[in-house]
Amino acid sequence: MTEGFDVFETVRDAVKTALLEMDYDISELADDMVLGPAGLDLESLAVAELAVHIEDDFGVKFADEELPGMADLTLDEFSALVVERMGATSAAGLAD
Amino acid sequence: MNSAAPRATVTGIGLVTPLGTDVPDFFAALCEPRSGLVSPPPDHVAAGLVDAAGIAPDLDPAAHVPRHDRSVVDRFSLMAVAAADAALADAGLTVGQDVDPYRVAVIASTGAGGMITFERQARLSGERGAPGVSSYLYSAFLPNMATARIALKHGIRGFSSTVTTACAASAHAIAEAFRLITAGDADVVVCGGTEATLGGLTGIAGFRNARALATGWADDPTAASRPFDSRRNGFVLGEGGGMLVVERADLADARGAAGYADLTGWGSTTDAFHLIMPNPDGSGVAACMRGAIEKAGLGLADVGYVNAHGTGTKIGDMAEAAAIQQVFGPDQPAVSSTKGVTGHLLGGAGAVEAAATVLAVADGVLPPTRNLDDPDPKCDLDHVRGGGRPARLTAALSTSSAFGGHNVSLVFQPPSTRRTRNSGAVHAR
Repeated sequence: MTEGFDVFETVRDAVKTALLEMDYDISELADDMVLGPAGLDLESLAVAELAVHIEDDFGVKFADEELPGMADLTLDEFSALVVERMGATSAAGLAD
Repeated sequence: MNSAAPRATVTGIGLVTPLGTDVPDFFAALCEPRSGLVSPPPDHVAAGLVDAAGIAPDLDPAAHVPRHDRSVVDRFSLMAVAAADAALADAGLTVGQDVDPYRVAVIASTGAGGMITFERQARLSGERGAPGVSSYLYSAFLPNMATARIALKHGIRGFSSTVTTACAASAHAIAEAFRLITAGDADVVVCGGTEATLGGLTGIAGFRNARALATGWADDPTAASRPFDSRRNGFVLGEGGGMLVVERADLADARGAAGYADLTGWGSTTDAFHLIMPNPDGSGVAACMRGAIEKAGLGLADVGYVNAHGTGTKIGDMAEAAAIQQVFGPDQPAVSSTKGVTGHLLGGAGAVEAAATVLAVADGVLPPTRNLDDPDPKCDLDHVRGGGRPARLTAALSTSSAFGGHNVSLVFQPPSTRRTRNSGAVHAR
């Protein structure tokens, strides 16, 4: 679904933007790279900050218990989780 | 402890907290318990960023600092000077009249110092370049400037310092007082600390973005700070702190002063586990409490009350509960965290909680943990819940832990001075 794909792309771009704002070098970041120590090397506090950025951007909520697991997700998997959390694949779910 | 060493007695308490500046009312509020937390009003910098905040009263700079300093002084310093003024008045002690100025020390600690000033000046330098920056930048924001202002105002000429160990800073200041008095290096130490946690967007946002703050309590801010409760989900920022006058007991007797409680021991350890996360096994805190009890020459059974750090974060409370369980085994002391009432005053917390512990010893009443409706089974302790619990204490512990992995425990016991005093609070029964 084209529209759903757009939402996914928007989220993934927002994640990259958040990582840039957090001073991470994302030039080597691939879509299938995990966010945590095995890949981009986000530490627990950085995962928390990324979660807050995304919560602010898209109006979604993450529980504290979810954060440790996020470090094991790839960029694509994390972006998909955000889209799923938005409860819609429609652009209507996007906050501006 | 060397039996010939002088004893250290607390003879004065000064506070600036979300509950105000009145010491008897502070302890009465802790024991009710009456919340000091509110939703930040719409024009407050924290509005929309936090669900609850412990906002300390506005202080009149004219009442505490010289005219030329009124527009410069950072809030953390103003609160420290106000608390030191009140503590010295409470002790009935005038430096230079009752005690040689070179025998008086001052240690006003803070986590971050003048962040409000620094944020404002950074904004001005961004807007106007170098000419926008005040020449008073350093005299306002440096963390040691609260100490310097207190020394200047009261003519204190002995040892002075500032400890910046985040949320353990003002507990470290009080531990230093014990060392100075018992080593014979000072006769009076004005010690404690403050934090202006709610003055600037940057500091508040840093905690929010680290997901350290309690969320989901906008409808009832008084319920947001809930140490050891199953529904806790972070701490609540409170501002303020306190200063104590710690004095050689024999000299306090000589001038006819009354003691609230003796400071008889301290312990300090470091987690060396993570920059800001406590070691979940509680080993650092446990070793700290053991060290303090040993230093005071006490046995475990002598400790009847622990004023816990208990901030209301999931891991922090669990680690501390594990530590208390390990140290005391089957014979657990009563435990409470007064942060349920005050929120977390960061660099000011240790001093405010030391004051609460001193007053618990003096009044024979243990303040409860507010909002501890459903104790987390992972924090299984002898919690003081509901209202204040009467208890005649042989010894009580106040314990603090900090970003950085610093732990400090202080031991207080009934005063050895001839004249003794209590908080003056009227306790509900």
